[in-house]
Order: sequence, then structure tokens, then C-alpha cells
Amino acid sequence: MIDECYSSPIGWAMRFLVRCGGKIINVDPHETRIAGHTTTGCTAPPFFALKTTENNSNSPHFPAKGIFLILSTYHVKLLGYRGNVFYNRSMKQSDSPGAGQNASRFLAAVVESSDDAIITKDLNGIITSWNKAAENIFGYTAQEIIGKPVVLLIPADRENEEPNILRRLRSGEKIDHYETVRRRKDGTLLDISLTVSPVRDEQGVVIGASKVARDITSRKRYEAELTRAREELARTNAELEERVVERTASLERAIRQMEEFSYSVSHDLRSPIRAMKGFATAALEDHGEQLPREVRDYLERIIRSGARMERLIHDVLIYSRLARAEIAMQPVALDHLIPEIVHHYPEMQPPRAEISIRQPLLPVLGHESSLTQALSNLLSNGVKFVPPGVIPKLKVWTEARNGDVRLWIEDNGIGIKPDYQNRLFLMFERIHQNPQYEGTGIGLAIVRKTIEKMGGEVGVKSDGQNGSSFWIQLPASPVPP
Amino acid sequence: MKPPPQRILLVEDDESDAFFMKRAMTKALFPPPIHVATNGQDAMDYLEGAAHYADRASYPLPQCVFLDLKLPFINGFQVLQWMRDQPTLKDLPVFVLTSSPEESDRERAKQLGALAYLIKPPTPEMLKKSLSLLPLCAGFQPGPA
Repeated sequence: MIDECYSSPIGWAMRFLVRCGGKIINVDPHETRIAGHTTTGCTAPPFFALKTTENNSNSPHFPAKGIFLILSTYHVKLLGYRGNVFYNRSMKQSDSPGAGQNASRFLAAVVESSDDAIITKDLNGIITSWNKAAENIFGYTAQEIIGKPVVLLIPADRENEEPNILRRLRSGEKIDHYETVRRRKDGTLLDISLTVSPVRDEQGVVIGASKVARDITSRKRYEAELTRAREELARTNAELEERVVERTASLERAIRQMEEFSYSVSHDLRSPIRAMKGFATAALEDHGEQLPREVRDYLERIIRSGARMERLIHDVLIYSRLARAEIAMQPVALDHLIPEIVHHYPEMQPPRAEISIRQPLLPVLGHESSLTQALSNLLSNGVKFVPPGVIPKLKVWTEARNGDVRLWIEDNGIGIKPDYQNRLFLMFERIHQNPQYEGTGIGLAIVRKTIEKMGGEVGVKSDGQNGSSFWIQLPASPVPP
Repeated sequence: MKPPPQRILLVEDDESDAFFMKRAMTKALFPPPIHVATNGQDAMDYLEGAAHYADRASYPLPQCVFLDLKLPFINGFQVLQWMRDQPTLKDLPVFVLTSSPEESDRERAKQLGALAYLIKPPTPEMLKKSLSLLPLCAGFQPGPA
């Protein structure tokens, strides 16, 4: 039996001094070996606990705390720091005769309170000790099982494990965290993790083994559940993948159909309009002189309606394509782009209109051809919606706004009443009834869609009388175009 | 008097469009030396001199073809591709005359060696300009302005 134990710092290492059966043994937790002292009587149960306090004591001996498994007189295994105060300074000082009994009681309590089954056996595989946890886990009481062979716990299909374990133990080998299956008293099987260590006598001869068995049934169950969950997840993932692939395919089909539709629109819908316009034009050109003025007027109306229908189809196609188009952003020099657009449209040039550009226009990040489309629409609108007899005058300038650039196009046109301004950028919204301001009602929807596609914004300011100021806002170009 | 040989083949399924082409051609040239094939197969038969087109005196090989793209059964591109595969037809000038403003169509026509890509409706000016591109256009007389 262990009588007393102390710990003291020797160099950097903590050593435990244990008085056991009248002899002092020196336990080095790093070496986990007991220096050559006999420890007769220390074998059952083969545990002792040590208490340590902070090692600032002046005394070379001070209390320690820890649980050790004595495997042999030479070999002590540090199981960990846990348990209650075993010895304190006063007990040591008084050298209390009851200390040894305290130790035994405490050790018994430690072993008994362990959640792991702690079993010892001799080299014939006969069980020599059995704790409470072993009873809980395997169903046998200590009384029933001590003295019986350990193979009682081994399922038939694993019987060959035991001779193998015993052979390894005899050669002094330790078996660490060996996961296997054992049998309970009621015959049910359980998953356990085994650590089996040889127990030696003072000559270093292996005389038996300690076995720490942990019930890992629930861990195994969790593992199995985890595996099932993972498989489930993988299956769900695969299903999801499959659905994504299906959806993508159906989306691609839809896009293809949409493209086919657009293509049909551009061909088939235009063809009758072309015929209508063509025959009316032919009638006017070839026989116009013989026709009454009224009939000529009708024919001209047919031609105008046809032209309007063509513009509508054109704009709807552009709008529908915008939604699908992928656009790459790059620096755009508005300083060049806007004069180019103006140059392209005679109705934006003197004497029909005056467009003054306040240079310099700040560069923006955008998609040049989309931006050209949007700006052409805005400038066309600007020169179109003027009262009769008024020469359109537009002012164009830019301003920096928190990393963005806002481009303004101010006109001297008929203006837009504030009530209508929020409807202005919607498809097919026309807010002028006068046929003089005929349009398809799609132009500004195209502008908005185009600019939004580039991550920008669009808006208008007008009091409804003194012209309008349209603006578009896009990210500023970080580098000169 | 026997009508003059028809030296232009128009491949066009739409009657109205064929009418406008003839009308524009009349204004550009006189008389309009046009034969109209109303679908792709008809065009191929004519160009091959197959079936009732065997008489090359009445149906001479045209000097050029005006080709619509959207045709029943065999479309314009298929006709054009087929022509490019025929040793006797591969160099025959072809003008694509279509209502399609699609850039992809224009590009494909170019790749298949069309001489020009014309968007309907045809005008006398458009036709005069196109025919002036022909390497052997001496046979065409400009019509009254």
C-alpha cells in the first residue's frame, strides 16, 4: 500500500516521492518509472493519487495531485490529474498513521468512480480485479467474474484476439486504443476501445495486465449516424446537382426558344409589314398622280403605321436581347463618345439642333456599344420633344458623385410633369398623346435596362414646363480610357 | 419574239417580296432578266439544270443569285453551302437578300462567300450598286433613272 507521497521540483522536472510499504520511491512523471525501490503491497488496486499545489513552496516536499497507475515496481503510468486532495501538508507533517487507509479508500473511490471499465488480469487471462464501470458496461458483478477467464467477454468470432493480446503483453508491448467488440453478460455486443498494458514485478517480469475499456457503442452509433448523415448529404447534394443541371438545361432551352422567337419576330412579323408598306409605296410612286389627295393621304398613313410597327419590333427585340446580353465593363471616354453620336444624327446638329458639351466629360466604366445605344436614345428624345417652332438646345455635362459619374442631358423641351416621371422608364409608357411626339414607348425602358445592366442608375428632373434634365450615373473610370 | 434569257436567279418564297424585287429591278435595269425560284430545292434544280430546267437556252446559268435566307425546307444558307460544294457553281456570285439584321447571319453569309448582304426591301439604288460589284456585269444595261 502507498503510505505517503510528495512532489518536489528537481531541476525543471516535477518528481513525485512516494512512500510505499516503508520504502521511498521516486516517481518521475516524464519517465513514468519508479527508481529502484521495492513497493511491496502496491499492487491491489494498482492506483495511487498525488496532489500538487503551486510549486512555489519553500519545502522540498509539498503536496501533489494526480492519479497514477502502478504497472510494476519500475513503471508508473500517469493517468491524469484528477480526483480529490489526497495528502496535504498537514497530513504529511503529522505523518498520520491513518494516511495509508485514506489513500486506499481514495484510490478505491477513484477506480470505482471511473466511467471506464478498469480490469486487471494475469497472464493466463484470468480476471483479477473488476471495477464498478466494468460491471455497468459488461453486466457481470466483480464477485461473479473475478477468477474467471477474460474470454467470457470475447465474442466467438474474435476469440483469436485474446492469445494475440497475451502474446504481445508477454513481450512487454502495450496495446493502445484498440477498437474491438466485446460481449456483455446478456450476450449483446458492444463496441469498446481497449488500452491494455503489461504489469511487471520488481524484476521487470510481466506478471499480468491492466485493461482500461471504454464503451464506445454510442460513439460508434454517432459515427454510424454521421456516416449515414454524410451519405444522405452526399445523396441530397447529388440530387441538387442533378436538379441544377436539369434547370440549367431547361433555362438554356428557354433561352434558345426565346432566341428562336426573336429570330422569327424579326423575319416573320416584319415581312407582312414590309409588304404593306411596299405596296402602299408602289401605289403612291406608280399611280400617285392619278389618285385623289384623300387616297394619297390614306396610303401615306399606311406607310407611316408600317414604319412605326417596324420601329416597335426593332425596339422590342433590342429590349429582349438586353436582358440576355453579357456585357463587359471598360473605361469609356464620354468626351469622344458623345460628339461621335451627335455626328451620326443630322437631327442633333445645326441648324436643326444645338448640343453644347461642357468639357471635360469625366470618363466612366461601361460597355461602350450599350452606352452608345442608351445615350443615342436620350439625345434623340432631347431634340425630339420640343414645342413646335422651337430649336432644341441641349446641354451635356458630368459631375463626380462619390466614386460615380453623373452625366446630365438638359433640354429646352416640353418637360415631363412630376406625376409621370416614375412611369417614364417603364415599357410601353408614352406620356404624350400628341402624334407629333410619336415614339414606341420603349426607348427609355431600353435606356434604363441598359444602364442598370452596367450597374448604373438613370433618372429625370423636370417641373413639367421648362424642359427636362435626364441623367445617367455610372461608376467612374479608375484609369483614363 | 422570244423573251431575253433570264440572267438573274432570285430565290424567294414570298410573293410580295418577289414583286418588290422585280419592281426595283425594273427601275434599275430594263428589261428585268429575273427568274424566281420559290424554295431552296427549286433553286438547286435550276442551278443544276435538273428536271424541267434542263433546257439551258431557256434557263441559262445566271450571272448572279439573289438569295433569301428564310426559305421553306432548305434554307438560304444550305443553298449557299451546297453551291460552294459544286465545282461549277462555287464561284457564282451570290447576294444575300434578307429581312434579318442579325449580325450572326451577316457573318455567316460573309464566311460562305456572299458578295453582299442586303436587307429588304430592295431599292433600285441598292441593286445598281450591288450589280456593279459583279466581275462580269457588262451584260447588264442600266434602266431608265
